[in-house]
Amino acid sequence: MERIDLLPFASLSSENWIAPFERAWRHRELIRAVVRREFISRFRGSALGPTWAVLSPLFMLLTYTVLFSITVPQLSAGKSVTEYAASIFIGLIVFNLFSELAYRAPMLLHEHVNFVKKSIFPSETIAWTATIRAFIYAGISFGVFIVFRLVTAGLPPWTIVLSPFLIAPFALFILGIVWFFMALGAFTRDVAHIMASIVPVLMFATPIFYTLAQMPPSIAPWLKLNIVGNYIEMFRGLAIDGQLPDPLFFIPVVIVSYATFLFGYQFFMRYKSVIVDVI
Amino acid sequence: MSSELIIRCSGVGKAFQLYLHQNDQLKQILFGLWRKFYKEKWVLRDVTFDVGRGEKIGIVGRNGAGKTTLLQILCGITRPTTGSVEVNGRIAPILALGSGFDGLLTGRENARIGGAILGLKRREIDERMDSIAAFADIGSAFEQPMRTYSTGMVARVAFAICAHADADILIVDEALSVGDEVFQKKCENYILNFAKTGTLLMVSHDLNFLSSLCDRVIWLEDGVVRESGRPSTVVAKYREAMNAVQPARV
Repeated sequence: MERIDLLPFASLSSENWIAPFERAWRHRELIRAVVRREFISRFRGSALGPTWAVLSPLFMLLTYTVLFSITVPQLSAGKSVTEYAASIFIGLIVFNLFSELAYRAPMLLHEHVNFVKKSIFPSETIAWTATIRAFIYAGISFGVFIVFRLVTAGLPPWTIVLSPFLIAPFALFILGIVWFFMALGAFTRDVAHIMASIVPVLMFATPIFYTLAQMPPSIAPWLKLNIVGNYIEMFRGLAIDGQLPDPLFFIPVVIVSYATFLFGYQFFMRYKSVIVDVI
Repeated sequence: MSSELIIRCSGVGKAFQLYLHQNDQLKQILFGLWRKFYKEKWVLRDVTFDVGRGEKIGIVGRNGAGKTTLLQILCGITRPTTGSVEVNGRIAPILALGSGFDGLLTGRENARIGGAILGLKRREIDERMDSIAAFADIGSAFEQPMRTYSTGMVARVAFAICAHADADILIVDEALSVGDEVFQKKCENYILNFAKTGTLLMVSHDLNFLSSLCDRVIWLEDGVVRESGRPSTVVAKYREAMNAVQPARV
C-alpha cells in the first residue's frame, strides 16, 4: 500500500528564503481583493461604518488610562498618567494584534472552507489577508496613539519614523504563527481551545502593564524569551522614549522572527494538500 | 487540432484518509512517522490519459465513480496520492457554482474576487465587468447583496465570471443543471463556442450533449477508467450498462 507522501521540508536554500514572498506577489491581486472584501463586509450595515475602527481603540485607550492610572500607580514608576497610558497603549496595540490572530488562526481555514475546497484558491494567501487586515487596524490604533501623544506630550521623538523596521519583522513573525496554527487548526478544533487558554496567560507574561526594567533580575531574562514582549519594548523605545533598540537585542529577535516565518510557511505548505481533504 | 499536449495525467490515484476519530487526524500529524492512524479509501486508481490542445473530452460515470475528484485533481484543488498531473494552461473550473461567494457583498464585488481567484488582473476585471454583468443578465440585482439571490442567480454570476477568465481549459462539472432554460441555453452556447478554440473537459449526465460535442469520452467506474474512446461507442456501452443495472435497483 502506498503511503501518503508529503512534500519534504525543503532545505534552506536561497530560493526558499524568498519563495513565500514570490507566491504572495503572484497572488497580490487576490490578496488585495480579499482584504477589501473583509473591510466592506465588516462595516456594511453599521451606521458609523469605518469610524468604529477609530472609536474602538480610542475607548480602549481611555479605559486603560483611567483604570490603571488610578488603581496601580506603583506600576507607572513615577511617570505621569498620560505617559503611562501611552506605554500601556503601545503594549496593547502590539499584543492585541498578536492575540487576535492567535485566536483566529486555527479557525481561518474553517471560515474559508468553500474557497479552499470548491475553487482553485491558493489557501496560503489566507494568512496574508488576515495579517494585513489586523495590521491595518493596528495602524489605525497607532494613528490614534500619535494623536494622543501630540495632544498630551507634543511631538513624538524622531525615532518613531524608524518603526517600519520593527513592523516588518514583527509582521513576518505573525505570519509564521498564523500559518502554523492555521494548519494545525484544520486537523483538530482543539487548537482553538488551546489558544483560548494560553493567550491570556501569555498576556501577563508580556510587558504590557509593566516594563521589563521593573521586573526582578531573576525573572527578566525569562521574559525576554517572549518575542511579542520584546517587540513591545522596542516599539516603546522608538515611539515614546526616543531610544534605538540595542542591536544585540534587535538582531536576534529579527532572526527568530524570520525563522518563525519560514517555518510556518513550510509547515503550512507541507500539509496544504492534506488539509483540503480533512476540513 | 494539434498534437500538442495540454494535460498529461499519468497513473493518477487518490486515496482519502478515513479516520475513526476526529483526533486521529492530529495524531497522524504528530506521530505519523511511527504509526498510521487512518484507513485508506481509494476513489481513483491508475487513471492515465492525455489531452491535446483543443480536444473535447467528456467524462461519464455513476455517482461516486470519482469524476469530481478527478476534476479537482486536474484543477489543482487536491493532490493525487499516486501518479502525476501536468497542465500547461490556465484553467477555468466550473465546479460548484458560486460556493465561494460572500453573501454580504454584491454580485459585482463578488465577481471582483472570483476574477482574482481565476488569476485576472484588477484592470482586466474592470474592463470585463460590464460584459460579466451582461452575461449574468440579472439586472439591478447585480448591485444587491448576494444573500438576496436565488440559486439560479448565483449560478449565473458564477458562470459569467468563468466565461470571462480567458482560460485555455474549461472544466465543467454538471454545473448546468441549475438555472432556467434560457440560461442553460446560454451556457451551452458558450461551451459550444468555447469548444471551437479551447480545450474542454466536461462531466455530464446529458449523454446526447456529450456525444454531439466531444471528441472522446472517458467512462469512469469505481475509480478506474472502464472505457475510453469515440463518444458513440463509449456512450452506447455506458447506456447499455446503465440499462442493465436499472431493473435490479428499482
